[in-house]
Amino acid sequence: MENTIKVQRAIHNFTQEELAQRIGVSRQTINSIEANRYVPSTVLALKLSEVFGIPVNAFFSLTANDR
Amino acid sequence: MNKESFIDCERKRLNKILAFRLPHSWLYIGGIIAGVSIILMFVRAFALDGDTQGLRHVLQKTLLVGLLLMSIAKDKQEDEMLVQLRAQSYMMAFIVGVVYALVMPYVDFGVSSVVHQGGEVLKDLGDFQVLLFMLMIQLLFYHNLKRFR
Repeated sequence: MENTIKVQRAIHNFTQEELAQRIGVSRQTINSIEANRYVPSTVLALKLSEVFGIPVNAFFSLTANDR
Repeated sequence: MNKESFIDCERKRLNKILAFRLPHSWLYIGGIIAGVSIILMFVRAFALDGDTQGLRHVLQKTLLVGLLLMSIAKDKQEDEMLVQLRAQSYMMAFIVGVVYALVMPYVDFGVSSVVHQGGEVLKDLGDFQVLLFMLMIQLLFYHNLKRFR
């Protein structure tokens, strides 16, 4: 799974800390998600979707390894 | 109570138990208890005379309680990633603990046979040694995983 959260964060002008506060996680968790080291739960993905105002599959996508 | 609501009730109770964590402050309380226990263990070993086996057993138990409190205390900002890391650390501690309990008696036996030249007996590990090792591995893995997340 890969994501474009870093891009979305830049578009919305959020720091990792601000985004983390908005969805109730730590800054390190946002960093791990952005670096594809951690795949978030559906709840967290939907919270991100709500913050960015776009559907989940607009910033999360499957890679060849997931198929 | 019908069968479905009974299963639901059991499931809720189980989830409540699984989600149980102590507040973050217990990490420090556990650390203090463990630290004081270790200091008193040294005092007992090197400064106290006479039969202190009773004190030794008490200190072993308080050390385990301290480490257990540290192990089940919440993090400052507990989120789903930390819950996952904690679960991974418990899994590792369990596996490494079982391997340790299986292998260590033979290592002890081998080493003492070489050092004392025969007449050694194969002894199992005590519960304190295994539990202490598992708790230490869990804390070590958890804090390392957290550092490298």
